[in-house]
Amino acid sequence: MKADSHPEGQLGVPAAVLHGRLLHVSRMATIGEMAAGVAHELNQPLTAIANYAQACRRLLARPDADPTDLQQALAEITAQAARAAEIIRRLRDLARSQHSERATTDINALVREMIELVESDARLHGVHVSLELTDGLPGVLVDVGQIQHVILNFVRNSIEALASQPSGGGRLSIRTSRPAAGEVEVAVIDNGPGLTPDVMARLFDPFFSTKESGTGMGLAISNTIARTHGGSVGYRPNQPSGACFYMLLPAPPAT
Amino acid sequence: MQDQPPTIYVVDDDEGVRNSVRFLLKSVGLTARTFASAREFLDGYQPRQPGCVVLDVRMPGMSGLELQEQLNLRGAVIPVIFITGHGDIPMAVDAMQHGAFDFLQKPFRDQDLIDRIQRALDRDARNRAALAQHDRIRGRFDSLTPREREVLTLMTRGKPNKVMAAELGVSQRTVEIHRARVMEKTGAASLAQLVRMVLDLESQDAAP
Repeated sequence: MKADSHPEGQLGVPAAVLHGRLLHVSRMATIGEMAAGVAHELNQPLTAIANYAQACRRLLARPDADPTDLQQALAEITAQAARAAEIIRRLRDLARSQHSERATTDINALVREMIELVESDARLHGVHVSLELTDGLPGVLVDVGQIQHVILNFVRNSIEALASQPSGGGRLSIRTSRPAAGEVEVAVIDNGPGLTPDVMARLFDPFFSTKESGTGMGLAISNTIARTHGGSVGYRPNQPSGACFYMLLPAPPAT
Repeated sequence: MQDQPPTIYVVDDDEGVRNSVRFLLKSVGLTARTFASAREFLDGYQPRQPGCVVLDVRMPGMSGLELQEQLNLRGAVIPVIFITGHGDIPMAVDAMQHGAFDFLQKPFRDQDLIDRIQRALDRDARNRAALAQHDRIRGRFDSLTPREREVLTLMTRGKPNKVMAAELGVSQRTVEIHRARVMEKTGAASLAQLVRMVLDLESQDAAP
């Protein structure tokens, strides 16, 4: 890895590069919507296959079953299965084109880099943002755009929860820390209503959403990103109230 | 009543899905006609043909909900079963509020679809029987002479024969004859039933 192209610490990143990263983040955000579209698209051939298979079962139960009917249904099942496979192949190609580029990164710099984006979103919803960044954290080997996407996802969830509170006075904080020797944590903490236990249990399930327009993919994708980095995402209630979403990333022991 | 076999109109922009539904229905002896769009269906649909509609809620062009509205505007009585995708519950609720007969989520169990279609066909047959009954009754009332109609109006207002005779300027005997003709022509067995028929016809006229 060339040290000059990936300087440790991302401060002073040229505007064009930052812009590219933000584009990447927003592209990742649309993956959630895309996944819902793919689910709908896959549902079509599956519905057709199920219908043909169930019709075949009914036809076979009849003494006068016509083999040409059965052959036609089986040919259709084959065609619809091929269609489903084609949808999955296209999706896989798309995933491959979004290859990840990792560099050793200062997590605090990564957070500061996106703070403007977070603040403009928060301001729009009357939410106050603060940073609680711990100095001297070890660098983490990450794809900056992907990790920013996860944090942005946490932030958006918090802002939406805070904006739904009529009282106002919503506050959220992005906190970095080192809970144990081999890991770095970045957490998004708010003073909103927090989560009910039944929501907590299903939080990271794909397609689970408490929002009417939600695709239920945001946290599921965040989970996938964290895991491909050897880390994890999680939720804990904040004290005395509110929510705390966090991501743990592996880090070399501090030098 | 069921002189014509019912037709199930399958409206879905996905060719694979609509053909598979037609095939499934054929396997249980039901006749289906398929349409690729709401517009195509509105052009090809025969209001006099008994049946029901199986409609995909999400379609390009006119959506399933808009089609339901068009049918409502045309005063169509045909029951509509909506097919929704995974997680389209708010849309399904919307469809039910717009007068849909039932809804089903994709992918569905064949028996669930067939049961719903059977119920929809039963409902359609009942609707059509009720409408035919109304038409018959209306035909009978239309056969009344102007004078008999006057007598009918007074009868439903509960006027005794003596009062009617005075109001119409005829003999009580003449009123009795008209009265008997009204009962005979409308086929009402009692004054109470006659009043109910008149109210039914009036409420039908008031409907859009």
